[in-house]
Amino acid sequence: MISNYFYHEIIRKNVIGFGTLFNNIYIKHKDSAGNQKSDLLVPIAYGPIQKFLARIEQQPDLAKKQSISLPRLSFEMKGISYDGSRKGSPIQTFKAVNPSDNTKINKVFMPVPYNLSFELNIISKIQDDALQILEQILPFFQPSFAITIDLVESIGEKKDTPIFLNSISMSDNYEGDYGERRYLMYTLSFTAKTNFFGPVVDNTSALIKKVKVDYFSSTDIKNAKREVRYTITPRALNDYNNDNTTSLAEDIDNKVTKFDVNDATALSKDVYIKIGDENMQIKSVDGNTLTVYRGIDNSVVSSHDIGTSIDVLNVLDDALIELDDDFGFNSDVEFFGDFKTYSPTLGQDV
Amino acid sequence: MALNPFFLQGSRSEQDLVQQLINEQLKMYGVEVVYLPRRFVSEKTIIRENVLSKFDESFPIEAYVLSYQGFGGGGDILTKFGIQSKDELRLIISRERYEDYISPFLVDAAGNVKENFKLAIRPKEGDLIYFPLSDTIFEVKFVEHETEFYQLNKLYIYELVCEPFEYEDEIIDTDIDEVDDNFQESGYAVKLTLVGIGQTATAVTSLRSGTVSYITVVNDGYGYKSTPTVAIQAAPSGGINATAVAIMTNRSSSGFSTGYSIDQILITNPGAGYSTPPLVKFIGGSGSGAIATAGISTSNSIGIVTITNPGSKYSIIPTVSFTAAPSGGVTAIGTAVVSAAGTIAQIRITNGGSGYVSVPTITIGNPSGVGTGNFVLNETVTGSASSTTAIVKTWDADTLVLKVNNVTGTFRIGEILVGSATTFTHVGLGSTGRYVISNIERYTDTDVDTFDNFDQNEEIQEAADLILDFSEKNPFGDY
Repeated sequence: MISNYFYHEIIRKNVIGFGTLFNNIYIKHKDSAGNQKSDLLVPIAYGPIQKFLARIEQQPDLAKKQSISLPRLSFEMKGISYDGSRKGSPIQTFKAVNPSDNTKINKVFMPVPYNLSFELNIISKIQDDALQILEQILPFFQPSFAITIDLVESIGEKKDTPIFLNSISMSDNYEGDYGERRYLMYTLSFTAKTNFFGPVVDNTSALIKKVKVDYFSSTDIKNAKREVRYTITPRALNDYNNDNTTSLAEDIDNKVTKFDVNDATALSKDVYIKIGDENMQIKSVDGNTLTVYRGIDNSVVSSHDIGTSIDVLNVLDDALIELDDDFGFNSDVEFFGDFKTYSPTLGQDV
Repeated sequence: MALNPFFLQGSRSEQDLVQQLINEQLKMYGVEVVYLPRRFVSEKTIIRENVLSKFDESFPIEAYVLSYQGFGGGGDILTKFGIQSKDELRLIISRERYEDYISPFLVDAAGNVKENFKLAIRPKEGDLIYFPLSDTIFEVKFVEHETEFYQLNKLYIYELVCEPFEYEDEIIDTDIDEVDDNFQESGYAVKLTLVGIGQTATAVTSLRSGTVSYITVVNDGYGYKSTPTVAIQAAPSGGINATAVAIMTNRSSSGFSTGYSIDQILITNPGAGYSTPPLVKFIGGSGSGAIATAGISTSNSIGIVTITNPGSKYSIIPTVSFTAAPSGGVTAIGTAVVSAAGTIAQIRITNGGSGYVSVPTITIGNPSGVGTGNFVLNETVTGSASSTTAIVKTWDADTLVLKVNNVTGTFRIGEILVGSATTFTHVGLGSTGRYVISNIERYTDTDVDTFDNFDQNEEIQEAADLILDFSEKNPFGDY
């Protein structure tokens, strides 16, 4: 019944994300005068390991020159549990452009929220080392610290995963007979609130590229007249058809708002143009002289050389917007006084 | 008297006999171990911990292994933190031998325990023992002194209960290679990649006439608190004014308080067009009495020296030589000024020479002294710019990779790293290591370079780079 192989390695990614929080912790040793004598990066590893691998890797020559080098950090996943409090709508989907074919769209249903419990263990020879490590960790968990993990690469869904520090337990076995060494260990329990995604499939339904909203004067739309219609369509922020409508007749710096072009016949008020990487909107046209608003659509205002081509951003470009590109909005307002409504099947007002 | 008075419960001579028999047995059936007393470098007072230790004394002593059936204890176990050895070793050493051959070295002439050893009269917990059969360094967990309970009213042996040492960053520097190299590839290390090849500086000059070719200090003066300005009388109209700097010295060797004197005057620009020797005066510096005279050269001596390539990685002042003047002339002499960045900043002239028929060639010595020598285990290396020191763990002369620990600060890329070992202490060293740091790596940098094969800092980092989006800064470090 459930088929369609997929494996997003969600848990592995969370393990990596969790581990990377603690892989750059240093401790320092100082002499009695307070001068640094030594600093150490605390090694960390995922605790569970195949036993033979540990033996082969860590004691390849069977030499036992020491007991162990300290301090060390180790972490492991301890459990998985469903988190009902974060449940989202099961029929909602995430959509994203297929990374291998940008004419297609992938979709995946809303993920299922799960909590992963992690344990971070600190072992050290002396309390001071452990406290240095601990103190560098605790302030960042208030009580959670969020990391952003790209859980499902094919839809580019980067989810914030809050990691909560739940509890800390310590054991300092310093008592007892001298046959036992002092054993100093801190255990920090964390919960990572992650999400499990299902299979990523092709999106078969088309994209919405136009939105129309009719406003009526009353909620009784059978007897009320419609008054206003807003229509929103995407507006291109880039020049797709490379129309080279005209070019600059002078050098302009990043402050000029009035300049000459070689031929302004195809340009008019309110038209969007692109010069280099900068988008502008024409405020007025006087002969071949344009007055413009610079740096429209969050583009960077910069200077441009004479002869730089000027592209017009118009409906021709709007039609060529590619999936996953940034776009702006064209809005259109119409006023009515009739009783018609729009029929999607006929594509017209009836 | 409660005991039988006709029996001695251990006379001195009987006790000595027993002790000597024990010593003899230990010498016959024992193992020669190396005893390393702990030197306490730093302690935390309130939570009562020894933070830093050093083991730089060593004493061979015979010890009897209590169980030849193998180590006791838990053996090797796999823990959350990797493989840990919980072997236990019980050694018997002679009380008399310890007191005669180890204790005296831990006390000074006045009979007090030497600094940082804490205790000299007995083997102490926390000391290390090198056990040669397994090439392991054990730590003494407990010293049992009442084993073989009061035979003839005396105790003759110590039983040392030992477990393999938990290494952190302790320095083991006994000069016994088998001992010192045990932790050479353990624990944490900073990997420094070194380079040695600097660039030789070049300079050119020109020939001029009527130059100030030398300035002789007639009276070096006294009481200067700062370097005075050397004022040279201006050249006649159409000439070039000469300039020079004073090099100060401390004749009284008691610092600036009593003042400095002038050591020598170095010409920075010999000028041109002088027909008579100009007057030389000293301005400022709060001192007095200095007198100098200038000598001029009327025919073809060198002009100002222009650096065409400042070179790189100079750490010591190189030699500067000019091609010899033809017979009857005087060969110019110069000295180089090395900047903090290791380049040649200026060539100053002590004698401008004379009688040249062609412009002399200037030869500046190689940035020698850098890129030579070797490092040895436990040698202290110092970064010349950062003054950071570290202790050498391993050195690979082929790849110029140096691994160090006990780093006291932050090394800088580009600074010159200087060793401290000499051929006197380390035969076969070649010469003291002196290289430029070109790259500094710790565990999390580009290369997985660990001694223990436990840590995954770097692997985790590499995997995380692919999946973590951290536009904001990671408080735990850099992504």
